[in-house]
Amino acid sequence: MKTLYVEGDTFLHRLSPRAKLLGLAMASLFLFVIHSPVVLVVAAMFGCIVYASLRLGWRQSWLRLRPILLTIAVVALFTLVLNGQHDALVVVTRLTALALLAAAVTATTSTGDFIDEITRLAMPLERLGLVRAADIGLSIGLVIRFVPEILSRYQAIRDAHSARGLKVRPLTLAVPLIILTLKNADEIAAAIDARGIRAQK
Amino acid sequence: MTTRDLVLAALFAAIIVALGLVPPIMLGFIPVPITAQSLGVMLAGVILGAKRGGFAVLLVLLLVAIGLPVLSGGRGGLATFASPTAGYLVGWFFAAVVTGYCSERFVDRSQNGLVQITGFFLAALLGGVVVDHALGILYLAYVTGTGLATAFIGDLSFVPGDVLKAMIAALAGRAVMVGYPLLPQRA
Repeated sequence: MKTLYVEGDTFLHRLSPRAKLLGLAMASLFLFVIHSPVVLVVAAMFGCIVYASLRLGWRQSWLRLRPILLTIAVVALFTLVLNGQHDALVVVTRLTALALLAAAVTATTSTGDFIDEITRLAMPLERLGLVRAADIGLSIGLVIRFVPEILSRYQAIRDAHSARGLKVRPLTLAVPLIILTLKNADEIAAAIDARGIRAQK
Repeated sequence: MTTRDLVLAALFAAIIVALGLVPPIMLGFIPVPITAQSLGVMLAGVILGAKRGGFAVLLVLLLVAIGLPVLSGGRGGLATFASPTAGYLVGWFFAAVVTGYCSERFVDRSQNGLVQITGFFLAALLGGVVVDHALGILYLAYVTGTGLATAFIGDLSFVPGDVLKAMIAALAGRAVMVGYPLLPQRA
């Protein structure tokens, strides 16, 4: 799996993940409190400047932002038809600013940094006895490790279908895929415990 | 949570991610793609129950947040949570928990097959359709200021697809329970 992180050495890359996440949270609060189109246009332009400072190039930026910009455009179109120009402008500028800032944080923070930050954020929860902070990193690693495995199993089940001349249906595909995958859980859990990865206390 | 529960949740999260690689279908020009991933969310609740199913979906959302393109169509990153349709995405967690909780309540291993399938169907319907769509509509209406009624009408076109998915989740959930029972039992 390729992450959306881009290597680089811009100002945002050097900023600590916590500062970026806090900044993004503040920005989203601010954007939803503000209703003045002028301020929001300035905010959207600020978002553009921040995103442009990553120097990803037009093509790369468009590929990354296309899905969310399309969604915003459609919602804005609906708002324009139903509520008029003023509301549509507010919706477009607010969501575009937020999307650009969020995409900039994603592009400048590596997966490892994010996991470290989430583990640290989960520490208070650990003290309350809700989760073990170290489990979060472990589970994320497990998911990333097993996606390719599941895809190859999916392909094998498809092949088995065509070898027997059966049509592929959601049910006949999903059920063996799930049972085959979850049956591994005992072995994986035993392997984790045998290595003492979760053995604290 | 035992190590086995943790692994089960992680494996299911991986299944949900894998389901996202099936290309999404866009219905008309309403901006919510129909994906097999929401089927995965219902399945997580139906098969793993509230706690582990909820954790599995939480893991997927976490992967989205840390910038992995794990949603259908290669979407991901924090910008996804800034989208007007983010309510449906965050709603997945509550959908899995509600579906799981209802499944644990409604379905018992001693019931006959038809009762089990009906129980799973109702659970998936409550969680995956009622709860998820309610949260999606609320957030869409809040963000766009178009009002609940408009957001509700826009949402309606996705209901048939998701009801169908609840049906598939119910049949698959019962088949998995027969083959490899995992659902915690609750009185």
